[in-house]
Amino acid sequence: MPQPKRKAAWIRLVEQNAGLVLSAVLLVIAIVLYCAIYYAAQGRLPGGFELTTTVNNTMPLVFAGAAQAIVVITGGIDLSVGGVIDLTNALAALYLGDSPLSMVLCTIGVIAVGGACGLLNGLLVAYGRLQPILVTLATLAIFQGLAIRVLPAPGGSVPEAYTAILANFEAPYSLVFIVVLLVVWALVRRTSIGVGIYAIGNDDLAAKSSGVKNLRSRVTAYVLSGMLAAVAGLFLVANATSGDPTTGNGYTLRSIVAVVLGGISLFGGRGTPISAVIGAFVSTMIVNILFFAQIDPLYQSFFEGVFLVVAVLLTAIISRLMRRRAVA
Amino acid sequence: MSFLLDRRKFLLGAAGAGLAAGGLISFPFGLAQAAETKPITDRKLKIALSNSFIGNKWRLTMENLFKSALQMEPYKSEVEGSWFNSGNDVSKQSQQIANLISQGVDAILVDAASPTGLNGILHQASQRGILVVSFDNTVTEPTGLKIGMDEFNFGVLWAEFVAKKINGKGNVIMVTGVAGTYDDDERNKGGDSVWAKYPDIKVVARYTGMWDSAVTQTNTAAILPTLPKIDGIWSGSGTDGVLKAFVEAGRPLPPTAGTGENGFRKFMTKDGYMGQKVDGLSFDDAPFESVIALELARAVLRGTYPRGNVVLPAPAVTNDTIEVGVNVFPDQPDSLNCLFTDSGKNALVQFCIDAALNGTPCEGKLEVRLPKA
Amino acid sequence: MDSPSALDPPAEAAGPSAPLLVECVGLRKTFGGVVALNDADFNAIAGEVHALVGENGAGKSTLIKAIGGRIRPDAGTIRIKGQAQALGAPEDGHALGIRTVFQELTLLGGMTVAENLLIGREPRGRLGFIHRRRMGEEAEALLARMGIEHIDPLALVEETSLAERQIVEIVRAINNRPDILLLDEPTSSLVEREVNWLYGQIEELRKRDTCIIFTSHRWHEIRNVADRITVFRAGRHVGTFEDIDESEAITLMTGKRVSTLYPAVPPLPARDAALEAKGLRGGRLNGVDLTLHKGEILGVGGLAGHGHRELFFSLFGAERTSGGEILVGGKPVRLASPRQATRRGIDIALVPEDRKTEGLFLGMSIRNNMTLSVLGRISSAGVLNFGAERRVAEEMARRLGVRMQGLRHPVGSLSGGNQQKVLIGRWLLMEPRILLLYDITRGVDVATKHELYELVSRLAGQGHSILLYSSDAEELAHLPHRVLVMREGRIARELAGPDMTAESIVSAAVRDTAQS
Repeated sequence: MPQPKRKAAWIRLVEQNAGLVLSAVLLVIAIVLYCAIYYAAQGRLPGGFELTTTVNNTMPLVFAGAAQAIVVITGGIDLSVGGVIDLTNALAALYLGDSPLSMVLCTIGVIAVGGACGLLNGLLVAYGRLQPILVTLATLAIFQGLAIRVLPAPGGSVPEAYTAILANFEAPYSLVFIVVLLVVWALVRRTSIGVGIYAIGNDDLAAKSSGVKNLRSRVTAYVLSGMLAAVAGLFLVANATSGDPTTGNGYTLRSIVAVVLGGISLFGGRGTPISAVIGAFVSTMIVNILFFAQIDPLYQSFFEGVFLVVAVLLTAIISRLMRRRAVA
Repeated sequence: MSFLLDRRKFLLGAAGAGLAAGGLISFPFGLAQAAETKPITDRKLKIALSNSFIGNKWRLTMENLFKSALQMEPYKSEVEGSWFNSGNDVSKQSQQIANLISQGVDAILVDAASPTGLNGILHQASQRGILVVSFDNTVTEPTGLKIGMDEFNFGVLWAEFVAKKINGKGNVIMVTGVAGTYDDDERNKGGDSVWAKYPDIKVVARYTGMWDSAVTQTNTAAILPTLPKIDGIWSGSGTDGVLKAFVEAGRPLPPTAGTGENGFRKFMTKDGYMGQKVDGLSFDDAPFESVIALELARAVLRGTYPRGNVVLPAPAVTNDTIEVGVNVFPDQPDSLNCLFTDSGKNALVQFCIDAALNGTPCEGKLEVRLPKA
Repeated sequence: MDSPSALDPPAEAAGPSAPLLVECVGLRKTFGGVVALNDADFNAIAGEVHALVGENGAGKSTLIKAIGGRIRPDAGTIRIKGQAQALGAPEDGHALGIRTVFQELTLLGGMTVAENLLIGREPRGRLGFIHRRRMGEEAEALLARMGIEHIDPLALVEETSLAERQIVEIVRAINNRPDILLLDEPTSSLVEREVNWLYGQIEELRKRDTCIIFTSHRWHEIRNVADRITVFRAGRHVGTFEDIDESEAITLMTGKRVSTLYPAVPPLPARDAALEAKGLRGGRLNGVDLTLHKGEILGVGGLAGHGHRELFFSLFGAERTSGGEILVGGKPVRLASPRQATRRGIDIALVPEDRKTEGLFLGMSIRNNMTLSVLGRISSAGVLNFGAERRVAEEMARRLGVRMQGLRHPVGSLSGGNQQKVLIGRWLLMEPRILLLYDITRGVDVATKHELYELVSRLAGQGHSILLYSSDAEELAHLPHRVLVMREGRIARELAGPDMTAESIVSAAVRDTAQS
């Protein structure tokens, strides 16, 4: 049979990772815009403090976005992300303690609790054959309720050492954790479960016919998501230096925004959690840009919405154009 | 197949795009400055309001008063002000405060989305010598100043007013607010602490009004037929609604202590309202706390007032002090919260109605009296 | 329907002498109220190629799925290699050495060809993680070993053509070295060359003593490769034969006698151009000229990926062109959307191949599906007139001979051929002058094919102009007045009269550019 010309490797990579590329481009545009507006307003470029606070404030969303992305890739959605963050935030504020040992144990315990929350979601979705949106809407309320129960009023304290590790005020050391996240994800992607997560997101029945362990893959996806949400809760508590059982609520929606800004299809099967990480930073950049652009605060959310629509529209149009090119 | 190797580089590269672009930003990092103590006397002060959200009338009025104050002397010439909202999103408010720190403001006034969630960034602000004043929804961060009203005392004052008016004997009702909130808990506890001292006062009904006059009116109307004669009303929630339900049921209005709706105060005027008059005590949390915070920040930064938390007295109005056009407004709707201004000769601050509604300046100079330090 | 006893079937094949690899006894399966398998028996032995034939809805696919473990029969026994098995999931089948190529492809669109080929047996690195680079290499080697060089293992499946996906699916199944290979309509999206490739693979497998069970609607291929042929009708086994000719088989499948498959080509009226394309470019199109006359059936053939799809979709306004002209009735028209193509005065309708994704709403009723194109006409003041809708749909269903339980039933409950009729019906309701039929008989059984052919011929006789693409060269050789063969985005050859044979169409399609 004739052997048609194959595409150049880089074109293929760009095409197959359109969402990732676009979100990265979006982030670069946002950063450039931010720097320009910042320079216009302040007469200097943003420096270490700006980078550090931006990173520290974005870290919880980075992990919440990655948590959401994994479930979205399976074709589901996880509304309980915010609830898991609430719960883990509350637990960490209470039990981190002051000794290195208690901090390590508490961190492990909190991540385990996140995993257990994800396990509950996963079992209900996979074995109960319930729609993810319904299951996680219900568990969101359950986790929020548990969080209030654990920590009825905001409080508790985070040892300074813990904050210094997860949300160091001096330098954006927490970027290291993004690298850890990337490495962990790269490894997960290279397991049968990783393949399964994408396969069930593409086509559940086809995945089954291909010998994929659907149930196991789905449950694992939710467990991973719960664990990542727990990590988000840890970053949140570290950055705040104290606990609040309700500050996680907003992360359900914001994590979905990060996923969308990352160019990940909500239909599942495509994209990578890495682009949700980028989407998280884009979302913080939007806040920064609007701040220094001196937009009337009353219209801030209006403009945030406009930014979001424009970003999503751009992503959609460009990836459609790329697809057209790919077919041609 | 060598491009498979490229794929790895590519993924790392794409993921690192943020960092790469962030490379514009220069290291190393500035060290935190020591907290500033010297008064600033030689220049305008940069004071910013970080409001967690503007989704209700109270917050809207609060911001309007702040805007209005900035356009009035002495703030007009002494302060360069700005204000931000964060949609009740803690990390967004945190990021905005970070941006305020970048801007190098002198003071940040905070109505917080979480009492603890901003502690990290506010701590950094303090470290950089920025004065932090939190009010309304205050923060637990220890280095900042707090302005507040004593909610427990609210409950006490209301109950004592009623007890005195009925000579420590009779049936009262308690209309509470949104259950589970700090303010509601404290006010109710304050009320109960007074009732405990009067064995002859009987709380014959206790129900929620959800801090909403419509709800209060509905609930009161529903429960009234089951109640005996009522001698006093303690209402931490939509007091005008309670009174309207009494009027509609054809009951006389007993002495009433409660919140600060314009409708309630209309009943307290000498002409009365809906053909009825009430002997009342009216006050609530005041939206002008933002302006008190502004003045506190200004005074502390100028070195004319000591650093310290401030507890505000309840801005109470009784039938003796009620004054049309000053603390009650017959041509405004009943729902107007009259606490946009204080009144009387010791008023904390006095505003005109346009300031509350539109954020426009009032005539003359704005005088803010901080409690004696 | 005539009773089977009125027929005289050819002698059934004697029972197999080798031990049975697959043995089904008394299988029964119902979906909702529809009986798919009704006390069905079937058996197959090692080293044989066994064809399953029958109309759509006769139960072939259900039988394949039952043996493959994708569905569990309600009653009956399946014995694999002599052991009774309760197959409830594809994994169960895999464990017994059964692999299936389903009619609805089971590839994962957003993943690469390599990932799909090697799913479940990916090469691992030292630490047990999947080695992505080696995966690409292994997939490439695997494809090469099977003589496939034109498929890029690193392409996403959704970037590949239908035929390529079918090939990947087949390669994957074979690569698992099954003892029993089930192929449900494996050739429906393949062109002649690729079909020959598949025959070669089947031959290899037969030599390795694999049992191959396949379904097909293409008679010549059944005759060419099958050792035995089993006929199904209405969920039952009718008979198994070593040799049976087409008309006998059709008679058994339908219970009716069918004289010839292809109707006579209707006479062509005066040569008035209905639709013309001049130098059409865009996408894969590289300057297409064609003229479709009034009342003409004009065939378009060629290998997949040479621009037919783009041609049809461009003429329907669903694909943008970058150059050239389209004329309807001699006047140039601009077709930027299907809406413009279906407008009065232009009246072009397209019936696509993949009725599931490109036209029908399977969950909606037959009636709703049919009248979707004419809702405006059967509404007054924006309100749908249900009476008119029912009448219109009833009339069209009768005219097309849609076999159904009732207009209210979902289209998804119909067999493939009848679904196709509903789709054609929808467009006919618009009374189009020009019909673009894109491979409408793909995956349709012989009896329904026959009906569709008659319908096409009748429509042409009534003055409709029909542009017909088919992946079946036989069909192109018999049904149209003329055939245009496309290659590399242009018309490479026009065939008419005695030159119009399946062989000449195929050879025109594959001839190298240099030779032409």
